[in-house]
Amino acid sequence: MPISSSTLVRTTAALMLAGLAALLVIVGMSLWLGNRSQDHFNEVLAARDLRAATLDFRTALQDAETGQRGFLLTQDEVYLAPYNQARQELESHRQRLTNLLQSRPGGDAISAAINDAAAVKLNELEETIRLARAGNREAALELVQADTGQIAMSDLRELLTGVVQDADQRLAESVAQQRGSASALYWTSLIGALVIIAVVGGSAWVVILYTREIAEARRLLSTTNITLEERVAERTAELARANEEVQRFAYIVTHDLRAPLVNIMGFTSELEASIKPIRDYMERSDVAGDDQLASDARLAATEDLPEAVGFIRSSTRKMDGLINAILKISRDGRRPIRAESIDLTNMLQASANAIQHQVGELDGVIDVADDLPTILSDRMSLDQIFGNLLDNAVKYADASRPLRIKISGEKLIGNRIAIDVADNGRGIAADDHERVFELFRRSGEQSKPGEGIGLAHVRTLVRNLGGDITVTSELGKGSTFRVVLARDMRRFIGSMQ
Amino acid sequence: MSSEAKPVTIVMIEDDEGHARLIEKNIRRAGVSNEIIPFTDGTSALAHLFGSDGSGDVSASRHLLILLDLNLPDMSGVSILEKVKANPNTKRAPVVVLTTTDDEREIQRCYDLGANVYITKPVNYEGFANAIRQLGLFFSVMQIPESA
Repeated sequence: MPISSSTLVRTTAALMLAGLAALLVIVGMSLWLGNRSQDHFNEVLAARDLRAATLDFRTALQDAETGQRGFLLTQDEVYLAPYNQARQELESHRQRLTNLLQSRPGGDAISAAINDAAAVKLNELEETIRLARAGNREAALELVQADTGQIAMSDLRELLTGVVQDADQRLAESVAQQRGSASALYWTSLIGALVIIAVVGGSAWVVILYTREIAEARRLLSTTNITLEERVAERTAELARANEEVQRFAYIVTHDLRAPLVNIMGFTSELEASIKPIRDYMERSDVAGDDQLASDARLAATEDLPEAVGFIRSSTRKMDGLINAILKISRDGRRPIRAESIDLTNMLQASANAIQHQVGELDGVIDVADDLPTILSDRMSLDQIFGNLLDNAVKYADASRPLRIKISGEKLIGNRIAIDVADNGRGIAADDHERVFELFRRSGEQSKPGEGIGLAHVRTLVRNLGGDITVTSELGKGSTFRVVLARDMRRFIGSMQ
Repeated sequence: MSSEAKPVTIVMIEDDEGHARLIEKNIRRAGVSNEIIPFTDGTSALAHLFGSDGSGDVSASRHLLILLDLNLPDMSGVSILEKVKANPNTKRAPVVVLTTTDDEREIQRCYDLGANVYITKPVNYEGFANAIRQLGLFFSVMQIPESA
């Protein structure tokens, strides 16, 4: 399937967008999961703090109870040391626990219950110790046996254990969630990476496909170009071969025509020479009025024969002219051509200067482009070609307007160049565009002397150089003759051999 | 033309009888009265020049001047020229190539092969007649060696 450049742009853009989206998802997920990890971590810290505070509080309570029991048992102040120690710490522990519990749902109720129970227990402890110090040990024991402190303590244990268990559960939950987050991050990254790899792969594949197509198209194009150049070269060679054949044919034909023509002309002269004494004789001799035969003979010798010989002579002279014209053209093809470097602008300017006098008489101007290239070709042929074209332009100028001749060049494929000789002369009717290049054919009003050889001659010369000539023209407006030449004639000559 | 021992014979090889006749007429007008033997094809001309055995011995003691056209029906005048100049019995005979061809290469080739004069036939009769007459005058003063 061929990929157009717009498809390529759209496909690549879509793939890039997909890749960007995948990347954004990964980054977003990472940020979010990072945040969640932070939360979980804070949660874990809080739970651990709460757990530690609860255990500290419980230990302090137990220490206080242990000190009270020891004192009640021994009545010795020494045993009261843990109790005093605990009483000093208890308040700060209780404060910390209350603070921590405040941030928990339902924590206020629990901390209130703990505070109440702790107050009851501490009251009981204080009371028994006070009674014991006052020497009323029985009353103290009685108070202990009343189980108030015992119950409060047991309530406290229960409450504190609940808080610890709650903290443990929160710890476990947070760790589990942390694991989930890590796993989610892992999968998100993995899937995102896969998506990005797919996108990059897809883009690369599309680009490779497209590049391959471009390379293929380029190859096809260069093949086409080469074929085109080959065809131009082939066609040029064909044209030149045909031209050469026509010239050889013309050469042979004209030579074969010449031989009998020499006889016709020769014997006509002989005949003329023979008639002369007969005529002289006939003119001198008297002819009797009734001698019909003699007067017929006289008429034939003095009028009919000289007239017939005269027509034969004029016709053979005309034929001779035509044959010479054909010979001239065929000789052009046989003249060896020599490639040399020619600056076309200089050469054409020189050709223009050569007819400056005639052009000036018509108020005319010849404009030669100054950017014409230098080519390798036969100078004599080019001189004749452009000299002929310029002569024609002057010869067939339109008298109603000043003559304008413009010579310009254009580069063509196959290392060729076209040179246009454009005039504003009387122009050539469309029917005659091909005919003007034929031998002995002329176009339009036959107001100027000429044999109809010029353009046929020009075409032969151009084709000899591996080129061709065409005309575009509008009657009454002007004509443009386009001479197409090989920039390097040697290549063409090489292809001919 | 020198005619001490044996008179010079002009061998004219020209396929066009009209041309042959016009050439003969104009040579005669120049005052040349030597025998002219016309041939209209190469084969009979070669038979005359080299004899039936082709050795050329028949021409050993002849004084020959050859007028040669290049366009012949049975062979090229060039090959006749080649044979004449290659044979020891005929190689000294002057050969005048008189033809319609004005091709530069052809002219060079003829001189390379030993042609003595090359003349292109002018098409118009005045020129033609004039050229032949001048050729005749030339004949009347030139020395022709014995062939061998």
